[in-house]
Amino acid sequence: MSSGRVLALARHEYRAAWRSRILLTLVAILAATTFVSVLTAALDYRGQLADYQAYVQAATADGVTRIPPSPLALLSLLRGAMEYVEILGAVIALALGYLTISRERANGTLPLLRSRPVTPGEQAAGSALGALAVLSTLVASTAVVAVLCLGVIGRDWPSSGQGVQLLLAYLAAVVYMGVFYALGVVATARSRVATTGLMVALGVWLLVVLIIPQIGDTLDADNQVPGGLFAALGLDRNGETAVLAHFSGYEHVRNWIEEASVSKHFERFAFAMTDVKDKYRGFTLGQLLTEKRNDIGWLAFYATALGTALWRSFRRVPPTPQGGTA
Amino acid sequence: MIALVARQQLTTLHRQRTAVTVVGLFVAMTALAGVIGWSSTQTISRVYDQAVVLLAQTGTPAPANPIGIKPTLSLLSNMTVYLPLVGALLAVLLGHLVIADDRTSGVGRLLFSRRLSGPAYLAGKAAAVGAVLAVALTASLLVSVLALLIANGNLPTAADLGRLALFYALSLLYLSVFALVGMAAVLLTRKRSLALLSAMGVWLVVTFAVPQFTSGLRPTASLNPVSDPASATTAFFRATAHARPLSLSEQYKAASADLLQTGPAHAVTATLGHAVPLLLGAGLLALLVSLTVRRHDWSRSMAGE
Repeated sequence: MSSGRVLALARHEYRAAWRSRILLTLVAILAATTFVSVLTAALDYRGQLADYQAYVQAATADGVTRIPPSPLALLSLLRGAMEYVEILGAVIALALGYLTISRERANGTLPLLRSRPVTPGEQAAGSALGALAVLSTLVASTAVVAVLCLGVIGRDWPSSGQGVQLLLAYLAAVVYMGVFYALGVVATARSRVATTGLMVALGVWLLVVLIIPQIGDTLDADNQVPGGLFAALGLDRNGETAVLAHFSGYEHVRNWIEEASVSKHFERFAFAMTDVKDKYRGFTLGQLLTEKRNDIGWLAFYATALGTALWRSFRRVPPTPQGGTA
Repeated sequence: MIALVARQQLTTLHRQRTAVTVVGLFVAMTALAGVIGWSSTQTISRVYDQAVVLLAQTGTPAPANPIGIKPTLSLLSNMTVYLPLVGALLAVLLGHLVIADDRTSGVGRLLFSRRLSGPAYLAGKAAAVGAVLAVALTASLLVSVLALLIANGNLPTAADLGRLALFYALSLLYLSVFALVGMAAVLLTRKRSLALLSAMGVWLVVTFAVPQFTSGLRPTASLNPVSDPASATTAFFRATAHARPLSLSEQYKAASADLLQTGPAHAVTATLGHAVPLLLGAGLLALLVSLTVRRHDWSRSMAGE
């Protein structure tokens, strides 16, 4: 495999992707929603932080020596941003995968490429590398916007430790979107009509990203009463644990349903890294990674499986359009 | 002529098995909503029983069973999520297919070589899509009644049946908006894929982006029929809340919650008020599609991907 040819194909993929108007539109929607989500959370956070600082000042002035630590978690403000990557980011990656195949078919560049000494493996590697560069640029841009919102509007900058956690969360986002890119390529390459492939890929997206997590979420009894079932019953965390001990079988089934979705694995990992879940706050990075090893493993599994399918698709993809033009 | 176009389109949708697939998916999602509603109800009752035992041990009086105060129709609350997600996407796809297939196959060019006006063509297509959606929603209504019968052991009351019928009529209006979006996207773009992705982009904006902007609803909160009230603590949301009547998905969910009694009770006028933006949206889109179809160049095939 020639690295020069792979890089040339990757550069072509990168440049071609940014020329697509629909992709740019979807990216603009993602950027705008991420900005609104983090902006509003940061505005709220600024008020709460000011309240806490005022309390600390007053307590210190009164000679109080044991001041409780801030209950605020800066990175948790990125929850909405992570959810948008989970839903919109996956659609963007799908569209990118679809365009990778349909563009070459429509432009008739595949026969040209095949007339050169380019192997299907190099083509797959080049396209995947280019797509990962596009996705990394996209994720990095949203990360910069999000961190700037935290610092400038929330008036609190992430520490170096939080920076590493954030980096890992966004790295997982690139892997997650890469899985959907591969799905878009595979579904389109295997369809005689590219639009049919896009519809199949969107159907899988609907099932994996929205329906399966939604089923798991609504089977959670606590979510079925406004404000939470256990709160309505007047039970604290210990009471909830004691009651749920009688429902271990049910909870296992619910968990299996959720684990069938790659989105849920990304969500759980990203939420742990961004302190969205209370129970992970205060964990060291090593503890977090150990705790989330199952989700890391599943993400790696999906990435490997779809990556292999992508490579095989490039070996099978016909160089000329077949069975119609749309 | 309108009836002829509608009949031809219905025959095509029937032959392609698109119509039966759409109806089947609606039936499946309604059955799923019923199963999830029943399962949640059973689990909440069992959790309540365990909680009563636990509270008795600590001498704390148990509050009322939340299931006892939940209205009958709330069993189907998941439909208020599935219809805007799956139903709306299927409506987009139907709207896309009925126009795009004519453009791709050249049937549109052939049709407009005859004495056929654009609005008549459009009305026929819209009638065909509306008929498929109406059949699918009627099937959903029947499955809903069956689910309520199985879960509650008796038929819904006449008032509940009326509420269900109104909910599905409202859903038809909501889905019609997205079918028109699918049609408009095909008429406004040159490539079929661009049309599909653009229509889907509109669906994403309406379903996730606008509620985030007007109510601070995170995307996953939009997936749960029971979501915490939107934050009104920040000045930003107090300002953007004025635009909430323009948020079609929120208006649909609010009206649905009223009809299925899954939220606090409101006056009938308030419920009807939620349907007004949907009516306006459908009307404006119908006007847009009608104007576009008049000027559309049918000699140009959807050659590109």
